[in-house]
Amino acid sequence: MNISNSFGISASALTAQRLRMDVISSNIANAETTRASMSNGVAVPYKRKMVVLEPNKTSFSTMLQNQMRGGGSGDGVRVTEIREDQSPFKPVYDPTHPDANAEGYVFMPNVDIAKEMVDMISASRSYEANVTALNSTKAMISKALEIGKG
Amino acid sequence: MNLLNDISFKRLQGALDASNMRQRTIADNVANADTPYFKRSDVSFEEMLQDQMSGDLPVLKGKVTDPRHFVIGPSSLVPTPVVNMDQSTSMNNNQNNVDIDREMSLLADNQLRYNAYIQQVNEQIKMMRVGVEGR
Repeated sequence: MNISNSFGISASALTAQRLRMDVISSNIANAETTRASMSNGVAVPYKRKMVVLEPNKTSFSTMLQNQMRGGGSGDGVRVTEIREDQSPFKPVYDPTHPDANAEGYVFMPNVDIAKEMVDMISASRSYEANVTALNSTKAMISKALEIGKG
Repeated sequence: MNLLNDISFKRLQGALDASNMRQRTIADNVANADTPYFKRSDVSFEEMLQDQMSGDLPVLKGKVTDPRHFVIGPSSLVPTPVVNMDQSTSMNNNQNNVDIDREMSLLADNQLRYNAYIQQVNEQIKMMRVGVEGR
């Protein structure tokens, strides 16, 4: 039983939330990107990206210990993949746009700014919660160093 | 020699262990607050200790007539902390059941509890020191 593992758990969540924030920033920055890639001479817009979170896989030794003790806590969180949103692009009528098709429509990325903003606040609040947990662990460890002092 | 090995000291030690474990568990719950299908866990120790101290817990114990006998039933007077996963509830649409407000208050509660245990340990050490130094 090692208390400094609590640091690792909170740190894994901080990493995951920061990556989530990076992905959201990328989505907002590319909300108007109509030419993320080219396929057969046709511009393909930017696809919205999202992170997939999963509980961290515990190592064999901790899993064995947990089984012998009858249940144990997990080992934090990790991002398993960054997946692309496959929902359809938004067509916008703009014949003067360089990436407009024969009918005059431009396909815009499937990024919804409002949704990204909500996700951003959620990621930022989760980050704060994990910082609080980390500070609480830190306070506990420094308190433990006072055993036998008084 | 029984300076710091009496039962109350052992109980405090067990409580500190349980508090460490609970900190880990709550940190894990908070870390996975956004993970789909995650179920929160909890550490129970204080209730078990209370039950054991009041004798409410029915304990099946083997009688030991020889020190080489195997111990049947609880081997010590301090229960080991147990992690329980709450599988029955759901908070969100994604089957996650972490209530972040509750976890944060449990975190604060656990920290204060830990401080109280440390203070109690320090009190005991101080008392023992008075006994040893005789002043």
